[in-house]
Amino acid sequence: MVDNHRDCEARSDNQLVKLALEDSQYFYCLMRRYEEKLRNYVHRFTYLDDDDIADIVQESFIGAYRHLNDCDCDLKFSSWLYRIVHNQTVNFLKKNKLALKIKINDGDDELVDWLMADTNIEKEAITKQANGQIKDILEKLNPEYKEILVLRFFEDKDYQEISDILQRPMGTVATLLSRAKIQFKKFYEKEN
Amino acid sequence: MKKKTDVSRETLKIINRQQMKPIPKWEFLVKNWVTWTGLTISLIILTLGAGLWWFGVISNTITPYLWIAVALIFLAGTYLLFEKTKHAYRYQKWQIVMILVIVGLVAGGGWYVSGTAGRIDKNLEGIPYYRKVVPMKMEIWNRPEEGYLSGEIIYVTDMNNFEIRDFGGKEWTITGQNVVIRGRIKIAVSEEIKLIGEETGKNQFVAREIRPWEGRRN
Repeated sequence: MVDNHRDCEARSDNQLVKLALEDSQYFYCLMRRYEEKLRNYVHRFTYLDDDDIADIVQESFIGAYRHLNDCDCDLKFSSWLYRIVHNQTVNFLKKNKLALKIKINDGDDELVDWLMADTNIEKEAITKQANGQIKDILEKLNPEYKEILVLRFFEDKDYQEISDILQRPMGTVATLLSRAKIQFKKFYEKEN
Repeated sequence: MKKKTDVSRETLKIINRQQMKPIPKWEFLVKNWVTWTGLTISLIILTLGAGLWWFGVISNTITPYLWIAVALIFLAGTYLLFEKTKHAYRYQKWQIVMILVIVGLVAGGGWYVSGTAGRIDKNLEGIPYYRKVVPMKMEIWNRPEEGYLSGEIIYVTDMNNFEIRDFGGKEWTITGQNVVIRGRIKIAVSEEIKLIGEETGKNQFVAREIRPWEGRRN
């Protein structure tokens, strides 16, 4: 097994994809590289337990391995993998009639700052009393806004990557982000 | 605390135990090829449909409803096939539709200008029922019992009294008062015209409106 193999660490994703086509051990390197990130990603927009998340990620890895020859390497391998995991997660949620959620932690300042930028609430007030409320409002947002917010602020993806993951045009990604903010503001003002 | 599953290790075990292999590249290439071939064929039919539509509209020879339907059906088909291609998601739906419409109209115009559309229409005449579905304008304008008549002027008494020979060879006496004249028409022998009005007797037609023929007879 090529666990912690120096050969893996030094290679790019695309190089590992080519090698993995001949030797599944190299696919293990790719899985190790992305497992934690993907688990966190699924965790961010679902309330699933670790076992379900592990199942989703495993199914996604198997799907990715089977379709390795169809890897769209014009785009980043990570975007292709995130797309598979995203679709697998959405299918899982649909199958089990579960809603898409968004999980916000205390350190998620970037998202909170961005959402509150156009409101007239002072930052101190946010940190003191509004965090719980922000979480509640985020839950009310349209699901397609939630998945974009997760990718943009928690996964740090740029517009191109989000476009490739969600398979939406870049212009739509920008529009959805802007609409997410408007919807958030609307809910926030309604509650205050 | 429950230990997290090592998904990577477990997945590798499954892959090795089940001797999984990536799906061969040729399968994806074939799938891709089928999509693009279907898309190309669909696009060509779309442009031909548009070409025959141009032919019907500009030459005023046929009623191209069938070809409008063909163009629309293959516009939808081309769009759906394009949506199946790898990078289609990068484009807005309206952008794809707009580009297809423009390509259809421009390439269709090319089919018309080059004479291909006309030749296709002519060649399809041999197919049973084709002319029933795509009638010549001449036939539409040869229903005197419904108030439509067309033909060539063969004798002129005055503007309100003249005779025509319809495209079937039958002669008609045309009368009328306060006739509406549309387009540039000269009531003179050998002019080809269309008439709207009423058949009042055997070979008698009272015109309410006269239009230039503007089209080809065959």
